[in-house]
Amino acid sequence: MTNSPDERGAELRDLFYETSQELLQALNDEALKLEKRPGDEEIVRSVRRTVHTLKGDSAACGLRELSELAHQFEDALSMEGAAAHAAVADIAFAAADLFSEMIAAYRKGHKLPSTKKLSKRIEELTSTPAAKKSRKKKSASLNKHAADWTEYEKLAMLQAQANGQDVLHVAVKIDPHCAMPIAGRQLIQNAVASMGPVLAVRPDAKSAAASKHVEFVLASVQTPQQIIAKCKIPTIAEEVTVDLLYQATSAGAQAVPDLTSDSKEPEAGKEPGISSAAPQSESQFAASTLENILRVEASRIDSVLNLVGELIIGKSMLQQALNDFAKRYPKDLLRGKFADAMAFQARVLNDLQRSVMKIRMVPVDQLFRRFPRMVRDVARQCGREVDLALSGQETDLDKGILDAIAEPLTHLVRNAVSHGIESPEERRKLGKSPHGTVRLNAYHQGNQVVVEVSDDGRGIDVQKIRSKAIELGLMTAEDAAQLTETETLNLIFRPGFSTAEQVTEVSGRGVGMDVVQSVLQRLKASVSLETRPGQGTTFRLKLPLTLAIIKALLFWVEQRLYAIPLNAVLEIARTVETEVHQVDNYEVLQLRNQVLPVLRLGRPAGEPGRSSKLFVLVITVGERKYGLIVDALEGEEELVIKALDDHTFSTDLVSGASILGDGRVVLILNLSAVVEHVAHLRPQEMGRAGSGLLLTHTDRTRLALTPPVGGQA
Amino acid sequence: MSRELHIVGFQVGRETYGVPITSLHEIVRVPDITAVPDAPDYLEGVINLRGKIVSVMDLRKRFGEKETGLKRQNRILVVEHAGRLAGLIVDSASEVLKIPSDAVEPAPAVFQEGGLNCVTGLGKVGGRLVVLLDMSKLLAPASLQAKSENGEKKAKTEAARGAGAS
Repeated sequence: MTNSPDERGAELRDLFYETSQELLQALNDEALKLEKRPGDEEIVRSVRRTVHTLKGDSAACGLRELSELAHQFEDALSMEGAAAHAAVADIAFAAADLFSEMIAAYRKGHKLPSTKKLSKRIEELTSTPAAKKSRKKKSASLNKHAADWTEYEKLAMLQAQANGQDVLHVAVKIDPHCAMPIAGRQLIQNAVASMGPVLAVRPDAKSAAASKHVEFVLASVQTPQQIIAKCKIPTIAEEVTVDLLYQATSAGAQAVPDLTSDSKEPEAGKEPGISSAAPQSESQFAASTLENILRVEASRIDSVLNLVGELIIGKSMLQQALNDFAKRYPKDLLRGKFADAMAFQARVLNDLQRSVMKIRMVPVDQLFRRFPRMVRDVARQCGREVDLALSGQETDLDKGILDAIAEPLTHLVRNAVSHGIESPEERRKLGKSPHGTVRLNAYHQGNQVVVEVSDDGRGIDVQKIRSKAIELGLMTAEDAAQLTETETLNLIFRPGFSTAEQVTEVSGRGVGMDVVQSVLQRLKASVSLETRPGQGTTFRLKLPLTLAIIKALLFWVEQRLYAIPLNAVLEIARTVETEVHQVDNYEVLQLRNQVLPVLRLGRPAGEPGRSSKLFVLVITVGERKYGLIVDALEGEEELVIKALDDHTFSTDLVSGASILGDGRVVLILNLSAVVEHVAHLRPQEMGRAGSGLLLTHTDRTRLALTPPVGGQA
Repeated sequence: MSRELHIVGFQVGRETYGVPITSLHEIVRVPDITAVPDAPDYLEGVINLRGKIVSVMDLRKRFGEKETGLKRQNRILVVEHAGRLAGLIVDSASEVLKIPSDAVEPAPAVFQEGGLNCVTGLGKVGGRLVVLLDMSKLLAPASLQAKSENGEKKAKTEAARGAGAS
């Protein structure tokens, strides 16, 4: 073996850090269930199994404190009566938290959090009268093997035997010179496990003897010689002995008597030992499903996705060449062949892109499953009674997006519980069920994934938001009165709006809504909300399926090509200069029966060199509509987004760039920032509000120095 | 026997500058540059370098040269810094210079302030002076941000001009 024991240990620990997250999640889930059905033995058993696995794994990695605590908890749970204790669920929650803190501390090399408090609570669990009498008798086992097996393990052995596997006892003496006996032990265990399901392990990984020898009960079809060969890992295993415990039952006729006689023997021979070692069956199951799952670094998938992106650029290059060819030789027969080949290639490329994207997709359940625990905690803190209803967990979403929305979503859910839902008394008074419901839902809608957070609480008082906005000096009373309901609601996403403490209380929403908004903007996603007084509020996050490729609309401004995401475009209209009116220093456009604020991306109105016919792109940002005046339209295209070097360019107007088929670079505008620029204009700039956003330095100089230009190439 | 520094020399205005050859990725002719709105004027924009988007800075503007039109001999030095590529527009790229490390003098203190804090030293090659640049300082976001502040920029351009003349 080339790796040093140290490296192996580090590898093991990394693996543990990853898998432990799943275990902790499971522990949380089980604790939640237990809280709903206190005293359910089945659930307590599964809590115990989880804690046991955690204990074993952490001990294998040499995380002593964690494994000791887990061991104590597991012991306590194994006592009769402990299960019925009302505090079990609570302690399980606390344990999950503490375990997670400890793991984080191990990982970062920080000081471990104190385990005393929890350890005391666990002790209380065992010292209740119900638990006292039930500590099972320890009886010395006179078995020829050093270890004694629990009932469960014995059952598993018999099952394995009935399934035609030999049950073998494998004892390995660990080389006293081995530098990292605990890690070595794990390696031996892996080797043993590779030959068949491990039914039991002794001694516990945490015990002092763990570094000296280890024994397994293994169900396997291999011969003892094969097993010895496999386990004899140089520098770790000093001595390996294998004994046959139960011969596999080969013939059916023989099987029955064998089974019964065998099953009696161990039961008569030994009293059940302390059932501290929980079944290993779960980890076996996990192992078998894990075989088909690869853990791959996200960056590797990303690089494949990048290459696919290059291919898409290549595709549009070919398409362009083909178009040119068709123009030059319209009658050439080769044209059809090229077109066929192109179409075929495009189809395969589409599939390829979709498959690669699918690799990055994970079900939103990965995110949703952490909410039950959180909702419970928050509800308890605020004295609410809240049920959480999840639906659409199987909806797939890009992993990157999922990670990015975790925080905003947590925020929304927390708000829904603490501010949206009324207190039980209030709800009773209103004639509602005292239990509030927070609903999390996810579903596909066209090219997007929608995630909804809704509550059946008091809703948001639009009037109060208005008065708050006036109070904060965001707008005058007249302005506020003119806002539509949606516009008013969107005010809560304004930075600064939420910071005042009272706002959170009156409006029910607040702290950090601007953070929610900004995260979503970065993802080219949007958030909208709906509220009905007394009936609840729904936040709707509309997320793109992927971050890497968008459908975009390309247009020209000042001889330069820009793109915006197509899903933000409502319609494309043509209009003339006279339809644009000046209102209050803002330019607005009357389009049919609606009035839109207008942003001129190019030079301001009145500047020479502009035709009086205008192209207007009607876009939505959040819930508001705007008209963008551009010089000319180019068309629609699938763009592979490449990040701009944001160390160099601090501008937020541009969210990325892409390369077209002919090698041109096109900048993708960040619409919310573009709109923001207008919203936050200083008064003295108002006269030319919303124009010339995309002019560069050179443009401005040119316009200022040489007034009458008719545009230049 | 002192070590030799391998320096890629290039001209901006009348001066010869140099960057370590290890930080150079390649030298290309100036392709179409896509301007980025809302950026300081010496940031020319972005180019497509075989499928990669690379931001381009005009060193001539950065160093306060007046003549900034593009000619045939203009080149873009594509340098690699901290894993990122960046392009620098220069008047022309000349040769690889081998400078013994004892022929490099530290930059005069006056360079340390203003827009020329990216100068690491002055190398002497056959009677010529080569101004050695430090990529990390040249491309550091902090110095760029400071430059994009309008008021400061003027002061720095002047400082740069003064330094160039000295």
